Amino acid sequence: MATGDKNLTGWADQDHVPGIKSELLELNMGPQHPATHGVLRLLLKTDGEIVYQVTPVIGYLHRCAEKIAEGVNYKQWVVYTDRFDYLAPVCCNHAYVTAVEKLLKPEVPERAEHLRIVTAELSRIASHLIALATFGLDMGAWTPLLYCFREREEILNLLERIAGGRMLYNYFVPGGVRYDVPDEQWIKDVLSFITMLETKKIKDYNDLLSYNKIFIERTADVGVIDAETAKAYACTGPVLRGSGVKFDCRRDDPYSVYHKFDFEIPVGMGEMGTVGDCWDRYMVRVREIEQSCRIIRQALDTLPEGPYQAIPLNKMVKVPAGAAYSRTESAKGEIGHYIISDGGQIAFRNKVRSPSFCNLQVVEKVGVGQMVSDLVALVGSLDIVLGEIDR
Amino acid sequence: MEILTAWLQGLPGFGGMSDQGLFITGAALMATLMFTVMALCAIVFTWMERKVAGFIQSRYGPMRTGRWHGWAQAVADMLKILGKEDIIPAEADKGLFVFAPLLVLLGSLLAWAAVPWAPGFSAANLDLGLFYIFAASSMVVMGILMAGWASNNKWALYGAARGAAQMVSYEIPLALATIPVIMHVGSLNTQDIVVAQQGGILNWFVLRDPFLFIAFWMYFIASIAETNRGPFDMPETESELVAGYHTEYTGMRFAFFFLAEYANLFLVSVIAVMVFLGGWWSPIPGLDFAPALTFVIKGVLMVFLNMWVRWTLPRVRVDQLMYLCWKVMIPVTLLCIVGSGVLMITSGALG
Amino acid sequence: MEQKAIYELLAAKLGEGALAWHEDEVEPWAEIAPAAIADACAFLREDRNTDFNQLMCLSGIDWDGYDEAGKGKSVAILGYDELGKPEVSERIADGDLGVAYHLYSHAQRHKFTLRVRVPRAVAEVPSVAHVWPTAAWHEREAWDLVGIRFTGHPDLRRMLLDEAWEGHPLRKDYMMPAKWAGVPMDGRPYADNPFPTPEPPAGGDQPGATGPAEA
Repeated sequence: MATGDKNLTGWADQDHVPGIKSELLELNMGPQHPATHGVLRLLLKTDGEIVYQVTPVIGYLHRCAEKIAEGVNYKQWVVYTDRFDYLAPVCCNHAYVTAVEKLLKPEVPERAEHLRIVTAELSRIASHLIALATFGLDMGAWTPLLYCFREREEILNLLERIAGGRMLYNYFVPGGVRYDVPDEQWIKDVLSFITMLETKKIKDYNDLLSYNKIFIERTADVGVIDAETAKAYACTGPVLRGSGVKFDCRRDDPYSVYHKFDFEIPVGMGEMGTVGDCWDRYMVRVREIEQSCRIIRQALDTLPEGPYQAIPLNKMVKVPAGAAYSRTESAKGEIGHYIISDGGQIAFRNKVRSPSFCNLQVVEKVGVGQMVSDLVALVGSLDIVLGEIDR
Repeated sequence: MEILTAWLQGLPGFGGMSDQGLFITGAALMATLMFTVMALCAIVFTWMERKVAGFIQSRYGPMRTGRWHGWAQAVADMLKILGKEDIIPAEADKGLFVFAPLLVLLGSLLAWAAVPWAPGFSAANLDLGLFYIFAASSMVVMGILMAGWASNNKWALYGAARGAAQMVSYEIPLALATIPVIMHVGSLNTQDIVVAQQGGILNWFVLRDPFLFIAFWMYFIASIAETNRGPFDMPETESELVAGYHTEYTGMRFAFFFLAEYANLFLVSVIAVMVFLGGWWSPIPGLDFAPALTFVIKGVLMVFLNMWVRWTLPRVRVDQLMYLCWKVMIPVTLLCIVGSGVLMITSGALG
Repeated sequence: MEQKAIYELLAAKLGEGALAWHEDEVEPWAEIAPAAIADACAFLREDRNTDFNQLMCLSGIDWDGYDEAGKGKSVAILGYDELGKPEVSERIADGDLGVAYHLYSHAQRHKFTLRVRVPRAVAEVPSVAHVWPTAAWHEREAWDLVGIRFTGHPDLRRMLLDEAWEGHPLRKDYMMPAKWAGVPMDGRPYADNPFPTPEPPAGGDQPGATGPAEA
């Protein structure tokens, strides 16, 4: 079990067995390791199975997208936001266009806002499905992976029909969305998909994984992030909510037209152990899938007629001078964009605050005193994506 | 063995052979047979594992190689793995590194000798058969420890340390769970154990008394741990230890571990069949034809059960694994021994 | 709380340290003297009325060439010549560096923005990592990419780039090195490539060959 009370300082200098010099074992977890979800490298200092120090080393996927932002115009940069969180790219698009629109102030048509929310929520479900799948895989459960990917495939098909891409969509533009709904059938298919998800599939995941005794043993009371730590480390999204803090940008700092829809904010309640353990974070994601389904249904039921772009696609965007920080709720947490415009067609500075970047930092504190297996659970439950951390 | 030597004597050209010569020839034949069975196990069970996993995960598994449900996939994989480059890490302890897979393989191969395939047909009809099987299969632990240490890789070392702890611990409930049966039979001879279960499904030890029923499941759980398969695949734990003790192994040497894993899997399954599930006897009394086939079919069903568990459950943590062994399974199996003994005395079985 | 009121509270606490309040912007912000930023953050974090328990974002900015008329021209690489040498504009970068802090309070549900500006030659700002632990990584990133040194930071190493990397990419006068660790960085073919591209086989019109066939 967790032994966070062990004193690390001076541990290596003590002779635990008389006459035998002992020291902590340095372990390189990654950048090529099955449990680090990409090219994350964790430098561990361990005593057997107990971890005494965790140092995340990141940057293996660094492309300096913020520098690229200073070289391409506002519309061109939307494609780069796709590459941040490549598991929920539409949410990243949403974050960026929201920031640009805060300065640009176009009249975004209602229809576009509804389409944005529908696609962003679909993307969020897809991302959460991967989070469940890979977390299960980290815990040694292979089968949920295939089940979750099967449903994700459906989402990719739906998004392909509306946006043309399967992985990276480039679907939003400042002032609207790129394409309208392809046909009425698409709306019907989305509705039937979310009905299927709500009524059958989530139950499947719960039966197979969430309430499995071994899974609960592995995740409950493991990697506990209390609410104060979560706030101090600026954790957001399911990590913050898993710690019992009822905060969601979609409702507490509303953007787009989220204020029109009725949905719950699931929080970790410590049902299986302590509030803020891995199981809570996992369960928050499962419950968010249900809420996303609710939002999609409402958004599609009230889908207004009308245009879907405020600015023609071929028109260059000139953003008035100024600086604005906007934040939106992506699947991983809160994406912040700080855009400084000098009035031109190209951003002067575009700082991206990515949720995984901030969420990962908490590993340095919470990972200490855990077992190596628990560290895998902790990193898995944070649901990081390296494209977003390294940018 | 006796059957085999008798059969050999009947062959033209072998009639004049001395007893010793016949024994050596017979033993060589038997060893070849066992090794072939083992290799076949590995091939058949890799294919079966993929199909079972595919079935559980709502996909197909291999479908192309060899047309019919990818039956040749395992053969192709085996050929591929044999053709791979053999890499020994520069800093590895070469002698141990090379020897470890052989030891693992040897451990599981030796244990096969005492398996009773059919009435009177086992490679070695030993009086201490069951004891011998457990003793021989313990050698696998040394091989794993050796592999992990010799690789000079921290992940492999972790895997080996976990593997050693796990396998040494789980041998105890594994062996303890069979003791009630030994008490009933009064012999460690594997042939005797099967013969004692004659007469239909109700005479199988698993259904003889409630303690034996519990003992069977204890044996089953311990056997999963003993073969290092999910949910107890601590020495490998892909998501934590990369590939555990065989991280650094490639090609042929890796194939040995692979072979040993599936051979062990089948071994513990047939021991379960032999000890608890009536060996070669069919469930309905009087319908005993093809005893060896019945025995193998039962073994394969046990392997299927094992695979089913593996592809359904998540993995436990290493300390929970130890907790389960020392604080749950060993007391329960001890209770089974006592309970079964008490039942035997009260029912007058001891005469 | 109104943002203006927060600023007044802060100004009363800091005195000289609070330089200005910029109200008429898309996002109002307070300009703070670099030396006072750590105190300002600690005050905003601790005070019951403000209670900013979350640092949403910390951004390093190079203000060189910023011109609100949209005519800003940064000192940057204009292009590469045939030999792969970068062509750089003539102007020498002299603009200030800055840091922006975006704060949020979970309890009070209000936001606030602070900014500091330091001369390029100094490029030092007190660290706020002791106020919010999350600032540690943000500051490391700002040091890495913009080159602002945070004094009092517990572990100021590069965050995303290699420790041996030269320069800070998000500076407007940053020049990409032509080569790093022996690898050319301008996208040109690698002259010392140990694995040269194989010559296409003679008679390109073979079955299986790709590319346009010779007429």
